[in-house]
Amino acid sequence: MVLGTPLTIGDLLQPERFITQTINGLQAGFVLFLIASGLTVILGILDVLNLAHGELYALGAFIASSVGGYIVGTGANAIVSPPSGFDPVSSFAFVGVLILIALITALIMVPIGAIVETTLIRPIYERSQVYQLVLTFAILLIIADIVTLVWGSDPQQLAFSTKQAVNDIPSFELVGLGNIPTLVLMVILVSLGLGVALFWFFGRTKTGRIIRATAIDREMATALGVSTDRTFTLVFALGSFLAGFAGAMQFVITRAQTGMGEQALVLSFVVIVVGGLGSLRGAVVGAVVVGVLQNWMIVINPDFQTAAPFAVMVLILLVKPEGLFGTWGERT
Amino acid sequence: MTPGLSREDGQLKIRIMKGLELTPLRLVLLLAGIGFLFLLPAIARNTGNLPIRVRPIYRGMVLGLAAVGLNFLLRHADLTSFGHAAFFGTAAYTVAIMVQIFDIQSAVVLMAVAVVAATLMAALVGYFTLPHEGLYFALVTLAFGQLAFSIPVGISELGGTDGLNALTGASGVPIGEQYPRLGGLFFNGQEVPNTILFWVTIVIVVISLLVMYRLIRSPFGSALDAIGQQRTRARFLGLPVKRYVWAAFIISGIYGGIAGALYALFFSTSIDPGSTLQVFVSGDILYIAILGGFKTLTGPFIGGIVFETLSNVASDVVITGPAGETEVGRLITGAVLLVIVFGFPSGIVGSLKPGGRVYEAGRTLIRNPSVVGPWSRQAGRGVVDAGRRAVKNVRILIMGVK
Repeated sequence: MVLGTPLTIGDLLQPERFITQTINGLQAGFVLFLIASGLTVILGILDVLNLAHGELYALGAFIASSVGGYIVGTGANAIVSPPSGFDPVSSFAFVGVLILIALITALIMVPIGAIVETTLIRPIYERSQVYQLVLTFAILLIIADIVTLVWGSDPQQLAFSTKQAVNDIPSFELVGLGNIPTLVLMVILVSLGLGVALFWFFGRTKTGRIIRATAIDREMATALGVSTDRTFTLVFALGSFLAGFAGAMQFVITRAQTGMGEQALVLSFVVIVVGGLGSLRGAVVGAVVVGVLQNWMIVINPDFQTAAPFAVMVLILLVKPEGLFGTWGERT
Repeated sequence: MTPGLSREDGQLKIRIMKGLELTPLRLVLLLAGIGFLFLLPAIARNTGNLPIRVRPIYRGMVLGLAAVGLNFLLRHADLTSFGHAAFFGTAAYTVAIMVQIFDIQSAVVLMAVAVVAATLMAALVGYFTLPHEGLYFALVTLAFGQLAFSIPVGISELGGTDGLNALTGASGVPIGEQYPRLGGLFFNGQEVPNTILFWVTIVIVVISLLVMYRLIRSPFGSALDAIGQQRTRARFLGLPVKRYVWAAFIISGIYGGIAGALYALFFSTSIDPGSTLQVFVSGDILYIAILGGFKTLTGPFIGGIVFETLSNVASDVVITGPAGETEVGRLITGAVLLVIVFGFPSGIVGSLKPGGRVYEAGRTLIRNPSVVGPWSRQAGRGVVDAGRRAVKNVRILIMGVK
């Protein structure tokens, strides 16, 4: 009995294919980073493993489908029709619209996250950790059903014409990689920008430093006059913001569908294990490794696409059980 | 020590086995419970409108058995596994592979091989998760659970997302005899073999619970308790912490394996990743342990039956939302879980047993029925207070402490 199809590493080594898969992998990795960074910061500071984080991401994607549907329309039912062919003004305007959709979605997620933290998670900080896990699992179940209740179980897509308008902007074609849509570049750049902003926030702003101080020593931070309650809510809301933004990005580039949250959650766990608990740097490295590896696997052997990240995780656990970058706080 | 009667402080006790002595009342209750389980298939057959169905209750029993294993780690070593479906699913898949590819139909052999496979899986996963504690342990076990899930999904010979069935492919076997069998009895989903498998499972569960009872009261169990309270201290006491935790993990995995094999014998036509290996199955197993009461021995098992009956009822509930009619089973089970976490953290069995919340409330009520008034006032005040606190939190959040 031969298991699976044989490995075809040769296919991946063709230069064009290699670059294409790597760029697609970077895109997937950056979106994953946005999800995992929220999860890792919540874990590092609140000491809560938020199992509902993947569902927050899925919720973000579906909210983006409504926001996007309101602004530009969904699927084949476009509200705003761009001119066909490349028109610099309208195409770049649509890029702006897509970023706006993501921002609105993420801002909608902020109060949702804050309410979940203040009403549900706050009462159980003092209790055994198993209750946190079970509580966030309950939130996961509830959000998952609310999503199907509100949006149904059919996948939601952004208006095709809008996607087309953005893809009409020449980007990868200029360097001879015509089969990568410009949307991929847009998502990479936007996520990269947000990632840089995140590092700046934690490294340079006062609030970011307060959050890190709370992560290092909660009691000391309280003694210095930091309201840990407020910090916790802020961090959870920030995590929801990032999850919502990532969901919107994913919605823009592919679609919003049920079950996406679960997969994202588990991959974020792999990212945390690879990168190290609570480490933002680790989250970047882990997410890019997972994203790129999965996309390489599509060419090498699609059967192992889901299993590959876990193989990396097992390897890291064997070699460096605390992850590539240790614990977060002292450094971003 | 042999079974027999003994007297302790003037109280008659019946010894079942070494270390297990019950008062007559508890023995009668226990026997009644087991007897009720034995009668369940008959009750399910003869009642149409009660939410008692053999299939969900069977699933609840085996998931409950897996939860007993998970609870061993949780209660004594203070480790929360979120990947117990890995052992459950490994055993279930082993049964399917053995029947379908190697044409082995004997249930005894299938059980044995499946449990061995699950044990090896547990040894492997346990080895990797050994250095971790707390949330990180949960995270790593979950990731391993997902690894176990992605293997059959990725390999088309294992049926992908459709999964396998445990029917032999050998030529010349009549359709009704392709199933796993015990002696001459084929577990083909008919009423009689189903009922017998149900009974066999009850016997296995009772034996497993007795073994667990002995294990908890053994020096090994006490050592695990010490490890769960404080690992460093346990190490200074000279306990081989890592070896004991590993052993506990494997034992816990064996329970998952037995449960998975029993599951595969019953649901032999649908062994798919979604119902045996998925992260939600791991979540369900943990949910069951909490629902039943993770500070008790029998709680997780009872929790399993209650949970599956509940989800069976809840899955029929349909709410009309903006997207049309939707089943909201998960919403309801999630809400019940919230109630358990906030209202009854010691679970069903934990709340009902002496000292538990419901038990004590019931006793007070019998002694003095007038407490209902103060209780309702207290409940009302509690709700108002919670509301006030929420408003205050939000105010502080927005405006700061002034």
